[in-house]
Amino acid sequence: MTQQPSRPRPPRLAAWLVDLFASPEQAESILGDLTEEFSDLASRSGIAHARRWYRRQSAKTIAHIAGTALRRAPAWLAAVLLLGFLLSWFSVGLPEQLIVALLRTQRPYSNLHYEAYVWLLTYGIPIVSITQSLLIGCVVALLARGREMVATTTLSLLRAATIGWLLFILVGHTPHARPVILFPAPFLFSRALDLIGIVIGGVIVRKARSASARRLPGAASLHHSCGHESYRIGRF
Amino acid sequence: MSARDYLGEFEHVVLLAVLRLGDQAYGVTVRREIEACAKREVSIGAIYATLDRLEAKGYVQSRVGDPTPERGGRSKRFFRVTAQGASAVKNTHRVLRSLTEGLALLGRSS
Repeated sequence: MTQQPSRPRPPRLAAWLVDLFASPEQAESILGDLTEEFSDLASRSGIAHARRWYRRQSAKTIAHIAGTALRRAPAWLAAVLLLGFLLSWFSVGLPEQLIVALLRTQRPYSNLHYEAYVWLLTYGIPIVSITQSLLIGCVVALLARGREMVATTTLSLLRAATIGWLLFILVGHTPHARPVILFPAPFLFSRALDLIGIVIGGVIVRKARSASARRLPGAASLHHSCGHESYRIGRF
Repeated sequence: MSARDYLGEFEHVVLLAVLRLGDQAYGVTVRREIEACAKREVSIGAIYATLDRLEAKGYVQSRVGDPTPERGGRSKRFFRVTAQGASAVKNTHRVLRSLTEGLALLGRSS
């Protein structure tokens, strides 16, 4: 018995990102089209060329989806982003306050083991910080209604730009200070976690919505009969 | 039909490609048709963004085909132009014809 050669697989990360940014019904047809063209290109021009083409097409497709999402309901998206920005802005320092408050209720060397005390100070703050960002990401994604990834990625980029701008101002005001003192590694690590947490929040909500849309295949669109085939009218 | 039923440049191109392809109009074929006729590279994302917009305006309708192995088990989404879409194409052509009438920029056809 001869074994059939396996089909070349498109780049997984690119496909995953398209799946995240596109709506569930869009993702099905877009990923199908990309895979069909990828298979065709791989057989004609080689797999390396096909993979490059797939990555390029995926990037352009995500940019188009993001652009369309931003144009479709700019006022609503701006309001959601503002809310997310304010939530993350006013909750800066909250993880530190929470951990310190928790530690104040315990006395080292007595109720709480010393190592647990040190562990909470070292890792507790980043854990609470990423959880807080994750929750903000989830809130923003839930409100963004179908534009989860666009909203959370934009919020994350806005936060990164604000932090970068503040650090730039800080450097301008203290030109003789060493960067390692101005930007200690734990601070930068914590801020990076914040940004990642927001996007992960978006991924969680997006995946949950995709899963529920797959469970209810008829819920996303209305079909009507048109001759022998079913055509969809408009979008809901 | 409203006099405002005219299309943007890329909407016009996509609708014409869907009309040319008839029953075989889906993302891949529409993209290839545009590349072959207009000699311009377009992304799948641009095609779907435009087709979704046209569908929301009622100019095209879509239906989902059967999943195929070469598409990784995913189904095709076929499009067809509605009567409203066809009249929008005609209206756009009428507007363009009246705007270009008498202009020398198109040259003289022999």
